[in-house]
Amino acid sequence: MSHDTLLDLSRWQWALTAAFHITFPAVTVGTSVFLVVCYAMYMRTDDEVWLRMFRFWRRIFGVGFTLGVVSGIVLTFQFGLNWGSFAHDVGPIVGVAILMEVVMAFFLEAGFLGLLIYGEGRISRRMMMFSACMVSLGTMLSVTWILVANSWMQTPAGYKRVNGQFQPVDWLHVIFNPSFGIRFIHMLIGALVAAGWLICGISAWYFVKRRHLPIARRGLSVTLGVLSILVPLQIYVGDSVAGGYVAKYKLPQLEAMEGNWNSANTGENVIVIPNQDAAKNEWQVTIPWLGSALGAKDWSGHTATPGLKLTPQSVRPMMLPTFYGFRAMWWPTVLMIAVVLAGIALRLRGRLYSARWFHKLLVGLVPIGFVAIWAGWVLAETGRQPWLVYGQLLTADAVSPLKPWSVLTSLTGFVLLYLALLGTYVWYVVRAVREGPGDGPLAEPPAPPLRSEPRPGLAPVG
Amino acid sequence: MHLSDGWMIFVILAFTMYIVLDGYDLGIGVLTLFERDERRRRDMFGLVAWLWDGNESWLVLIALTLWAGMPLAAGIALPALYIALVPMLWSLIARGVSLVMIDQRAGWPPLSGRVFAISSLLVGFCQGAAFGGLVAGLSAHGGSFAGGPFEFLHHGYAVLTGVTAVALYVLAGCAWVYLKSDGETQLRAARVGRVAVVLLAAGTAASWLLVPVAGSTTLDPGAAARLPVCIAGTAVLAAGLVFALRSFSDPRARRPGRAPVFATLAVYAGGLLLAGGLLYPRLVPPDITVHAAASPHTALLFMTIATGALIPLILTYQAYGYWVFRGKVDLKQEATTA
Repeated sequence: MSHDTLLDLSRWQWALTAAFHITFPAVTVGTSVFLVVCYAMYMRTDDEVWLRMFRFWRRIFGVGFTLGVVSGIVLTFQFGLNWGSFAHDVGPIVGVAILMEVVMAFFLEAGFLGLLIYGEGRISRRMMMFSACMVSLGTMLSVTWILVANSWMQTPAGYKRVNGQFQPVDWLHVIFNPSFGIRFIHMLIGALVAAGWLICGISAWYFVKRRHLPIARRGLSVTLGVLSILVPLQIYVGDSVAGGYVAKYKLPQLEAMEGNWNSANTGENVIVIPNQDAAKNEWQVTIPWLGSALGAKDWSGHTATPGLKLTPQSVRPMMLPTFYGFRAMWWPTVLMIAVVLAGIALRLRGRLYSARWFHKLLVGLVPIGFVAIWAGWVLAETGRQPWLVYGQLLTADAVSPLKPWSVLTSLTGFVLLYLALLGTYVWYVVRAVREGPGDGPLAEPPAPPLRSEPRPGLAPVG
Repeated sequence: MHLSDGWMIFVILAFTMYIVLDGYDLGIGVLTLFERDERRRRDMFGLVAWLWDGNESWLVLIALTLWAGMPLAAGIALPALYIALVPMLWSLIARGVSLVMIDQRAGWPPLSGRVFAISSLLVGFCQGAAFGGLVAGLSAHGGSFAGGPFEFLHHGYAVLTGVTAVALYVLAGCAWVYLKSDGETQLRAARVGRVAVVLLAAGTAASWLLVPVAGSTTLDPGAAARLPVCIAGTAVLAAGLVFALRSFSDPRARRPGRAPVFATLAVYAGGLLLAGGLLYPRLVPPDITVHAAASPHTALLFMTIATGALIPLILTYQAYGYWVFRGKVDLKQEATTA
């Protein structure tokens, strides 16, 4: 009983702190690319509007970045704090992948962030451009190594086990494990899409309020254009994730996410109320034919979707979070496609900057990309249960032997702190957006906080 | 030399870089507790605003060099130090956010200012307590932690090392402010710095003398080969403390004001030599050694090559950042933007 409580508390702590953390990298990967674009355009055209956009989005980027850093430190420590056996068993593989993230990405971002945020007036424009590129490169390398680590846990490869410990045998197989490539692309596009909707929605808000129109026009146009390419691409990539790796390597996840117990359903379940213990659905709404068509690409409608009873009861993932994790990712994506198509239609008819209903809709869509990312990770992580390293190491065997009250206390502390943080962040972004990028003539670069040359002699100070 | 000893170079490098770099900015955070003048507090804040996050990266590197390179040690020590490290993480979060809040609003908002100061203090204290808990010994059985949640306290020994760590960080903070400021700010830094030196001297002496009494770790300098290391460490540490005390008092040292920074570096170097001499080859005393804790050869080789290639690059661009923001704080310009 006590072990179950400990396990549940430790898992909740991981899930909540990780979900909180992933939000901020999702903001910074995409906005850093946008910053690079803005500054590159400014350097090419000398057009002040691009510089103004650069400075405005840099503020929102900077705060998101800081929250990403501090919440990331928490995760790094939590691997060992709450999952001591896991730390021991996978240190030589997962630990190394995350070490690579730190030395390649974390330091790179942090090293150039100070220059990007505070460097104006102290460094040349080319150096500023370089710093923006390095920060952006850092965010992407970070995604790369985190996905190496996580994908290896989904589809472990290139290792041998010695006294319980996973030891690398072939690093190429460890890094390019079967699910890494496609999941990396899936996450990278997901992050770009999420930031795209954020920038697009804030730009649209300025249209609604009829403020800063030159900046709003460029923001809306660029992001909607990029989203028109990325969202359809993401649907294709997502389908490859489901068909190419989940169906091949993690069948129980597919069984659970489609909401079937018996392998007889050729339809697509829309709503299910599963009863995990009795291995049946209390209630379900099913669209006939669609499951066969979408899942197996059998348009005759005769291929049934595999059910969770194929997997032994002791190693079945929970159907509820898996099923709804998938839906909370899929339905927002369908909405995204509809909006992107509407955007293309409006643009062709020359009404993109005047359709107020569309701008209001875009403001409402600001969080949509983040919802899809959270849901996707809920699907991937609960779909792997009860395993931590799929098929090899059970989550229940990897938890640190702590007192449940210790974990309850730390969990409570993190939840309270993160709620305050999230409130602060939203308040900050709202305030920054209200203040806006400014319309008047551009001021000189903000005065640097420190003097560039040591002053000769003792000047009166203070 | 075994590859695991080679890897310890990176662990020690990360540890040293972290306590030296984040040490001064945590110390500055504590210093703002004693500073009533708003403009001077803002000045001090201006010293940490632009590089704290690069400094904090080294903390993450400590965690990762241990986890990836010495997984057995990480798997035992981290759960054992849960009660010390979780409040450290809370404080780091609060500190990062308060820094952003102070940065984004003009003036010195009272709440975020207070959060910044207190969280800086707590981070230092928790780190010192965790280090003390580790040094005095942690029970392990079959590859995992086997003691109680408060074992690391060792009858209050960890509190002593926590306070000592705060004194060390305050000294580092004073040395940095002394270098980067002039006038009244500099004089005040020297005054607090002298107090910190005295506290640190007492704390360090007590910490090392009490180790054999506090926990399960025995403090034998062991093989004759390591005795000179311990003696050298003690000598460098003591010389650093004396030098710090003198340079804080010497009016001629105020410009360019580098002496206290060098003195502090000597204190760090001496302390590290002493710790290494007394503990090596133990990594998680009393039982777990570096060799027992190490990752397999294939992992260490890969990490050593990759990290060895990247660390010089990291040091280069961090140094470039410090170079861009070189020079003393300018109160006049600060006043126009604040």
